[in-house]
Amino acid sequence: MRFLPVLTALAVLAPTSAFAVDYLTAEQAARQLFPEAERYEERAWTLDATTLQKLAAMGVSPRSARWTLRLAWRGTELMGVLVADAVIGKFELINYAVAIATDGRVRGLEILSYRESHGHEIRLPAWRRQFVGKAQGAAISVGDDIANISGATLSCSHVTEGVKRIVAVVELARRTGVLT
Amino acid sequence: MTQRRARPLLGTLVEISLPDRAYTALFELGFAAVARVQQRWSRFEPDSEISRFNALAAGESFALQAGSARLLFMASWLHAQSGGLFDISQGSGGWQVTFERLHKLSEHTQLDLGGIAKGWAVDRAIAALKHAGAAWACVNAGGDLRVFGVQPVALHLRDEQRGGVREFGHLESGSFATSQLGARHVSVAAPRCVWADALTKVIAASGDTAHPVLARFQAQAWIHCAP
Repeated sequence: MRFLPVLTALAVLAPTSAFAVDYLTAEQAARQLFPEAERYEERAWTLDATTLQKLAAMGVSPRSARWTLRLAWRGTELMGVLVADAVIGKFELINYAVAIATDGRVRGLEILSYRESHGHEIRLPAWRRQFVGKAQGAAISVGDDIANISGATLSCSHVTEGVKRIVAVVELARRTGVLT
Repeated sequence: MTQRRARPLLGTLVEISLPDRAYTALFELGFAAVARVQQRWSRFEPDSEISRFNALAAGESFALQAGSARLLFMASWLHAQSGGLFDISQGSGGWQVTFERLHKLSEHTQLDLGGIAKGWAVDRAIAALKHAGAAWACVNAGGDLRVFGVQPVALHLRDEQRGGVREFGHLESGSFATSQLGARHVSVAAPRCVWADALTKVIAASGDTAHPVLARFQAQAWIHCAP
């Protein structure tokens, strides 16, 4: 953006623009991250006040009390859970989904929609792979165990915070028996 | 230099400006994008997401149309960032958007996206025009405007005391929105019109043109007429 108050010389700034892209739906992400699953069950979970406090005690701002968990089943065996969420990157909403295995470890991260003009690199497998294997207790923080992408700092840090929150929410779901 | 078309939408006059040689069909694309936002979000449209929400009982929820969660996420995010100053429920009660559903938490909750949907509609129109290949465009919904491309647009402010208009500046590849709260007139310039529009409410409510949330959106604010 360029705002020039009255009586200021005009300079020309070439705008850069890339188009918004919807890559995947949450269902497609579930099939991609749990290819061995036979069915996916949507389960709504509302965190009560005590659970929200536990979440805050884990160092995560709760933001939302209602979560939709997508459980991936093969027969009667639970493969894991997928949570789709959204955060604001720089100016635009980023939709993403995190798959977590039954041991609480991240199995994968998919970017569902990306609309910023910069930072499309967060879709690269190399960046997303950093989250694989992370569980509650890991730092999951840009500049710590997650590398930044130059020019897309806000996108990286907000998606990273989002993953950390989802890891904590699913961990609480596991402990409280919501996933059985 | 430019051709302009206007149409009554969003309870105001929406004007689209395009380069001289632009196809007429481009205007239609832009207006159609604005009309879709009106249909989806106006509380005066009986089938809008907002009308459906307002008719719910406490504890109920419904499945949003594809893409609808996006604007609600943005509204709820700004509510948190502004310490509650930006509030599409205007204090009427709780609501929550999950990935595809909108939940009503109290029976009195009524939502009104009047403080953000105009800017959002301008952004949608600009996105449609960009996508169709326009090299330059300006969309102005009753003073909430966005311009993209290298040609700057002159901004004029209505002088509320003496009448007439005064020159305010030039805007290039960005957005500018103005709101009134009581006697206070607030303008915000920001890269996205949705944020420019919504941030005018935060600045009008706080009276603070240095509010920390402005920096987050590379925005700048002015209060023209303090109460």
